[in-house]
Amino acid sequence: MRFLVSLLFLIPAGAWAAALPYFSVLSDDAGGWPRIFSAVGFQPQAAGKARIFVLRPGALGSPDWTARVENGAVVILEGESPAAELFGFRREKENARVGSLEDVHRPGLAIIWEKALELPRYSVPKQARVFAWDKWSKVPVMAGYRLGSGAVLWVIASPGERGYERFPYLLHALGDLGVEPPFRSDRLWAFFDHSYRLRVDLDYFAARWRRAGITALHVAAWHFYDRDRERDQYLERLIAACHRQGVLVYAWLELPHVSEKFWNDHPEWREKTGVLQDAHLDWRKLMNLTNRDCFRAAAAGIQDLMRRFDWDGANVAELYFESLEGLANPARFTPMNDDVRAQFRRSNGFDPIEIFQKHDEARQRQFLEFRAGLAREMQREWLGVLEDVRHERRWLDLVLTHVDDRLDTGMRDAIGADSEGALKVLGPSRGTFLVEDPATVWNQGPERYTELARRYRERGATGNDGLAIDINIVERYQDVYPTKQQTGTELFQLVHFAAKAFPRVALYAEHSLLAPDVDLLSSAAAGVRRVERMGPKLVIDSEHGVGVPWSGDAMVDGKLWPVVDGRTAWLPSGAHTVEAATSVSAERPRALRFTGDLQTAEYLNNSTIEIAYSSKGRAAVVLSGRPLKFEVDGAPGSAVEAGEASFLLPRGQHIVTFQFQ
Amino acid sequence: MKRKPVRVILLLASCCVALAQAVDPAYEPLTKAYEALRAKRYDEAVGAFRRAIELDPNRVAARKDLAYTYLKIGETESARDEFGEAMRLDPADNHLAMEYAFLCYETKEQAQARRIFDRVRKTGDPVAQQAFENIDRPLREGIERWKKAIELGSDTFSAHYELATLAEQRDELNLAAEHFLRAWRLIPDRRSVLVDLGRVSQRLKRDEEAVTALLAASRGGEPRAADAARKLLPARYPYVYEFRRALELDPANTELRRELAYLLLRMDRSAEAEREFQIVCEKAPDDLLSAAQLGFLYLARGDKERAIPLLDRVMKGPDEDLANRVRAVLRLPQKLKPRSDNAAPVSVDAKLMAERSFKAGYIRDALKYLQIAHEADPIDFSVMLKMGWAYNLLHDDAHAVPWFDLARRSPDPQISGEALRAYRNLRSATQRFQTTIWVFPTYSSRWRDLFAYGQIKTEWKPKFPLRPYVSIRLIGDSRRELGQAQGVQAPPQYLSESAVIFGVGLRTPTWKGLMGWAEAGSAAGYLTHHVLPDYRGGISFARGWGRLLGAEDSGWFFETNDDGVFISRFDKDFLVYSQNRGGYTAVIGGLRFQLYWNANVTFDQKRQAWANYTESGPGSRFRWSWLPESMSFTVNYLRGSYSVPQDGSRPSTYTDFRSGVWYAFSR
Repeated sequence: MRFLVSLLFLIPAGAWAAALPYFSVLSDDAGGWPRIFSAVGFQPQAAGKARIFVLRPGALGSPDWTARVENGAVVILEGESPAAELFGFRREKENARVGSLEDVHRPGLAIIWEKALELPRYSVPKQARVFAWDKWSKVPVMAGYRLGSGAVLWVIASPGERGYERFPYLLHALGDLGVEPPFRSDRLWAFFDHSYRLRVDLDYFAARWRRAGITALHVAAWHFYDRDRERDQYLERLIAACHRQGVLVYAWLELPHVSEKFWNDHPEWREKTGVLQDAHLDWRKLMNLTNRDCFRAAAAGIQDLMRRFDWDGANVAELYFESLEGLANPARFTPMNDDVRAQFRRSNGFDPIEIFQKHDEARQRQFLEFRAGLAREMQREWLGVLEDVRHERRWLDLVLTHVDDRLDTGMRDAIGADSEGALKVLGPSRGTFLVEDPATVWNQGPERYTELARRYRERGATGNDGLAIDINIVERYQDVYPTKQQTGTELFQLVHFAAKAFPRVALYAEHSLLAPDVDLLSSAAAGVRRVERMGPKLVIDSEHGVGVPWSGDAMVDGKLWPVVDGRTAWLPSGAHTVEAATSVSAERPRALRFTGDLQTAEYLNNSTIEIAYSSKGRAAVVLSGRPLKFEVDGAPGSAVEAGEASFLLPRGQHIVTFQFQ
Repeated sequence: MKRKPVRVILLLASCCVALAQAVDPAYEPLTKAYEALRAKRYDEAVGAFRRAIELDPNRVAARKDLAYTYLKIGETESARDEFGEAMRLDPADNHLAMEYAFLCYETKEQAQARRIFDRVRKTGDPVAQQAFENIDRPLREGIERWKKAIELGSDTFSAHYELATLAEQRDELNLAAEHFLRAWRLIPDRRSVLVDLGRVSQRLKRDEEAVTALLAASRGGEPRAADAARKLLPARYPYVYEFRRALELDPANTELRRELAYLLLRMDRSAEAEREFQIVCEKAPDDLLSAAQLGFLYLARGDKERAIPLLDRVMKGPDEDLANRVRAVLRLPQKLKPRSDNAAPVSVDAKLMAERSFKAGYIRDALKYLQIAHEADPIDFSVMLKMGWAYNLLHDDAHAVPWFDLARRSPDPQISGEALRAYRNLRSATQRFQTTIWVFPTYSSRWRDLFAYGQIKTEWKPKFPLRPYVSIRLIGDSRRELGQAQGVQAPPQYLSESAVIFGVGLRTPTWKGLMGWAEAGSAAGYLTHHVLPDYRGGISFARGWGRLLGAEDSGWFFETNDDGVFISRFDKDFLVYSQNRGGYTAVIGGLRFQLYWNANVTFDQKRQAWANYTESGPGSRFRWSWLPESMSFTVNYLRGSYSVPQDGSRPSTYTDFRSGVWYAFSR
């Protein structure tokens, strides 16, 4: 019986090794295809080594293709070609205007091409599944079918130079045809607002977040600022469910918004706009934190919030002023409360409200500089408030979320954001500096992350691993195509580029992620520098560690590897070899999930696992069963039980051992 | 005995369950759905609930439970829609309405949420009252705040747009319409705001205003706005007055104006179209399409002075295809696009493009691509064959024949066969001298005789439109006696002149089946040995429609052969023959078989007794594919009737069975 189990484990492992994640575009002009595949970890290679082939228009229809597909190749056909005809995709006489799609992966989502095209209609073979069609003409635009152990996917036209202009769910269609991405990551952060998830099954969602590669949830904490039994219970259940699945939970603060009740209870402390109205802008109700009474009240409330729940960290986000329109829109411009005006008047000799009454660039500049300094001071002050809490709760991680003002230099004047000052406030080892993409560049391509990371690394204020990037997945206000919100290939490219450039990627928000994207996110976030085969071994080199789809036990660097979850083997950073384990046991204990930075892991004996790790905050571990005992750095007790087989380990660099029966 | 009632109850219960299963089609999927729900297998539960609802769409409870399952997995919009449908089925259930309203609020459908809460609160529900207030108060305050901000001088797009958005959510539709319009006027390129305006106008039942705004947004706006506008517009094509109203609202919308101009053109309102094109060209000098169209309009009415600068602009512009279309109209040589040196698979791409052009009917484009393909691969016989067909379709057989000649040397029998057939068919048409031979031996039951008709004709095809020829005709019969019946003069009604006729003549080229000819010569009677001068000439028309004998598939057909002939030997008479047949062509394997009805009329100028009659009756014609291409067999059974008195010389009616073989070829 044990042999049979072993055999079952070995077969899929061998199958992975047989199909290296290589693709080849058989054309001098590869177009946007490499960007599509690279977004989820496939790597370009010569046709002789590839498994996925792209045949562009006019490709010849060699009968050999059928046999290759039957033996496992995946052929992607673009437009009209003898090859497309060979697989049954035939051009008809009539043309149709194509520009507005419907896709089975997200019916109802408007997929609009920036430029509609006049294209021939095609007949598709009977066995093909139509994945997408033009909404108005009903012309099929993406269809495919499985053939033998391979698959054929046809698209009516080029996917575009960026790879996502026309068929956002092309990778999903490939997934439906059996093409799985080659790597996974579990390093994502995601923002969470409970008002979108009031009635969900939290255990179901915690498992889903774990599957999506989310390692920490940043929970909108202002909803829990005021004590409320029902809401508090919800948050406790959320944190417990997350910890059981090895997902960490941070308190996400959006000061100067404190809470709805705080706004209602203290109209005297409300922030004012340039037209001296209360600053209720979008959803935020901004408070005047310059006012000392207001600050003290809010700080006490925040410290209470931090102590009431088992948070793993705190994220001070977007602590500056409004709005992106800057001085151009006084009705959205803050701060103009009495305290700020008085403070400015004392140091500069005039009331800043005058800058809206009479255009004077020098005076405007004076106030904008004062305002940026004020924002910096607020950040320093509030990080101090949280540091006070950290003295008692030493495991707490700190994050400062700050909009970028390096690519969009207008941010400093628009909202008072000064990242250089903020980096100094945070310091090199105090926490993570989470760079937020300003809304003004959400329409730009994913390459911007590489440049952004370079500019921040040059400053080096937080050390190499103290940087993170926040990707806003929202309906963009710009006129963007093909989807208003990033989804499919566009989202995966954003995540992939961001994960290559930054050690950590945060997604705003967990609720705005469209359902079809969840399962591929983890692959998009995975970064591998090199993958190749050496005999029976795979050599995989990654910067931040990576998960390799793997069923059963694996040997890493020649040793039996304990960090496997039945579908993935999780490797540390650097170059490592992976191969199928020679002795396999279904009963051997395993670490199914580990959120810290793995350094080494091994079986000390058949029932003891040892893991060396480092982590800026707590590290969560989920085991395959309950251990008899566990030790951190040789001493019992410093790990916190978070469930039957889940533990929260201390931040820093440690060695942990779990001994099972 | 005590157990009996229990058994009865169990039996009854089983029967009930069985009955429920039999009667309730949704029973089984619902059972599975609830089992899956209990086990927290939500995806499975959703699938089973959906199946149950498909089987019983009016089942409110199933919809509710499906909605709650959706909520468990965070599919809030789907949950909202299910509650919405359940509310429609059971409008009296306020609990459903409240669930629906809360989910509308969560999914950014505040206006709908507010309306439902408003309805329910009027029944005295305090929760609905509070929920209504929670939505309405911020909307109310926001509206006041933005009104105030605008009063204070914040005349910005965002101020008007936010005010309009809040007003629409609060169903203050007039206020919303006003500020959507004011916002749009500040940034007229943002036509998505016109979609908002159109939507609000529709809700205000101002249909004309709605169409005006939506039409402006649907043309020339951002593609996303255009798509949204299209969803809201009526399915019909807009009227001219609607275009005009939309242009009054959005006069800078050149795409809208251009479309109106084309619409006017199609309606033959050229003058109005011209005015619109003029405005487009003024407002958008880069709009080369409109410049070209306006240039053509000027050209069409002879205004070259205004046309040429516009057309020049197009020809110098970056749109090569458009420029070539202009060159074609101006009869200027076309410019081929420069080819890139590094494009490796030129022949493949060019062949593909040629194929596409062929299929789309752009033969000149196809020819252009074939030339490129031929240069890239000079021994590709399939390209040569296609070149032949392209020239043939362009009525340039002189260029087509050499390509077919090259292609018939292909080692591929399919290509060489097709090329050879085309070459043979066309070669004769392009030769300077062409000899045609035809024979038509026919048996007639009326005359109990076999007649022989034939001609050998050699034609010279000079470049001018008349073609001289020399000809030898044979018109005779096998019994060699009919020609002498009742007199010396061979009467033509006996179908035999018993003569060989030598002649020289001229004919016109055939145009749509019509041809004129004239011939002078001598008829040598082979029985009488007399030689008589023979002058004849006239016009001939032959045309067929539908599936003729050479057709590839079955179908109906009609053919007519009409001749008006002057013949000097027949008392300088002018005769008209009209032979018509209509019927069905059947293609059965290699056999082509026609079954038809004949309707023939013959009359003459001099009303001679033998020359005026009608004939009709069934007939058939057939051939096999293995026969020479122009060989066929005919069988006709005709009933004839003379239309002038015969003075007892012959019966006024007759029947005739005729059977013949037709064969012709050219060299």
